[in-house]
Amino acid sequence: MATLADSFLADLDELSDNEADVIEEEDVDAGNMEEDVDGEMADIENLNYDDLDSVSKLQKTQRYVDIMQKVEDALQKGSDISNLGMVLEDDPEYQLIVDCNALSVDIENEIIIIHNFIRDKYRLKFPELESLVHHPIDYARVVKKIGNEMDLTLVDLEGLLPSAIIMVVSVTASTTSGKPLPEEILDKTIDACDRALTLDAAKKKVLDFVESRMGYIAPNLSTIVGSAVAAKLMGTAGGLAALAKMPACNVQLLGAKKKNLAGFSTATSQFRVGYIEQTEIFQSTPPSLRMRACRLLASKSTLAARVDSTRGDPSGNNGRALREEIRKKIEKWQEPPPAKQPKPLPVPDSEPKKKRGGRRLRKMKERYAITDMRKLANRMQFGVPEESSLGDGLGEGYGMLGQAGSGKLRVSVGQSKLAAKVAKKFKEKQYGSSGASSGLTSSLAFTPVQGIELSNPQAHAHQLGSGTQSTYFSETGTFSKIKRT
Amino acid sequence: MSYLMTTLTKKREVDTIIRDTIDKVLVLRFGRASDPVCLHLDDLLRKSSREVSKFATVALVDIDSEEIQVYVNYFDISFIPSTIFFFNAHHMKMDSGTADHTKWVGAFQKKQDFIDVVEAIYRGAMKGKLIVSCPLPSERIPKYQLLYKDV
Repeated sequence: MATLADSFLADLDELSDNEADVIEEEDVDAGNMEEDVDGEMADIENLNYDDLDSVSKLQKTQRYVDIMQKVEDALQKGSDISNLGMVLEDDPEYQLIVDCNALSVDIENEIIIIHNFIRDKYRLKFPELESLVHHPIDYARVVKKIGNEMDLTLVDLEGLLPSAIIMVVSVTASTTSGKPLPEEILDKTIDACDRALTLDAAKKKVLDFVESRMGYIAPNLSTIVGSAVAAKLMGTAGGLAALAKMPACNVQLLGAKKKNLAGFSTATSQFRVGYIEQTEIFQSTPPSLRMRACRLLASKSTLAARVDSTRGDPSGNNGRALREEIRKKIEKWQEPPPAKQPKPLPVPDSEPKKKRGGRRLRKMKERYAITDMRKLANRMQFGVPEESSLGDGLGEGYGMLGQAGSGKLRVSVGQSKLAAKVAKKFKEKQYGSSGASSGLTSSLAFTPVQGIELSNPQAHAHQLGSGTQSTYFSETGTFSKIKRT
Repeated sequence: MSYLMTTLTKKREVDTIIRDTIDKVLVLRFGRASDPVCLHLDDLLRKSSREVSKFATVALVDIDSEEIQVYVNYFDISFIPSTIFFFNAHHMKMDSGTADHTKWVGAFQKKQDFIDVVEAIYRGAMKGKLIVSCPLPSERIPKYQLLYKDV
């Protein structure tokens, strides 16, 4: 009921607008209608409207009749060369076209109202039909065909609906909870269906007329998308000015159908394209590029519509230029990518190597770092000759290894991580294969001469590890004597 | 067979190209287009000239022209083909285990060999060396006998 009230209010608004614009003898009718509408508004609470005429009034208005008459005349006359000299607003044909646009919007609203009416009446008979068939005109046709029939196998719905929907409708009808309608209600419903169908036919006529005049009204737009689609766009938008004010994303979706999903179908509606889908440019692009083409078309046609709404280019050159641009862009998208040329090698040593850091690298470096033993061997004490492997200064020198004053009797081989890793691998190869190793084997070798010296690794690190502590200068000792001079 | 590579026949051209190649290795192939080994080398050079183009220039010199005989005598070119390397107008020598370090005699076995040689020359030259050692293993280096006065 709320929708009905809204539609009444909408009717009221239209009436008041029309009084300002069009110079028709509508005042009388408008006055009459307003009275009627007020009367209806009062009864809205106990509204069990039986009368279709109280709901849909468009066909009775003078305005409707006049415009339809003019359209028919113009259609029969055929298109004549428009006189471009005259200013657009004064041209009666242009005025007629503006009226036609408004009228087509009105007709649409009217059809929706009638659809609601039919739906409410038919709900007693077949409640599920409204969720299966969304389109108002299709719904009206189906209702007319089915009538009061309970058995849908006797009804032939071919050609009205897609076969999948017909199947679903037949199945639902067999389990419907509806009952046949009483005679008067059935008559009223059929009457309403007829009304809707005539309105639809009238709308088609109006659109045809607008289409034939499209080249005159909006030459640029019709060059790009074609006059049929241009007329539809204009009709849906409610006029050229309204179309020009829309952003391109809306223009793209004008006329997009909502797909009817039967049952559990999860197929989404393809594309989100509206009337633009019917343009020849769109149809001739390969399917992979269609989305981009649609967006491009929508944006360029919006530009053309804006040019047309201000009559900036009556000759249509702008439209032709835009069309050429669109064509070129689509061609460019279809070009194959340029052939890959082999890249020349980079100059040697020109790119600095990427140095990594972090804990992992540090651990890896530790394996090859200089051991403490080697550090000791590299240094020498001042004034103390070092021992050498072959004795007497020949062979490899031992530096501070094994010298008095280092605080250790023997320097042991510190845990060499590299050696450990190699030993582990070696062990795996040797002992791991058999698996039956004696529990007495160990990786430490006992020799009678040296024995085992277990060293405290912490002490070692302290002694030589940190670079800041030096063994050259004693930590504990101080200057023995400072002479004042 | 020198499809895109410049062939030099005049002394002046050789001079200009040696002088004008800055900070790039200049590879001059001395040979003639009819010799099969020369053709093999030329093919390799042509294929790799684009790849090394950032640090090397390749040019072919035809030893059958009279003006070039000066260079033939200067560099003592007797085997065909011979390749001589320059860097910033300095003659770069390469020790590849053969007797003659001043030039490379013969063709390369693979494209990668040629690129390796040019890279070695480039690295050495950038360090300031005038002689570099050859990175190729000796199997890939063409062997020849140096004749001295037909001995």
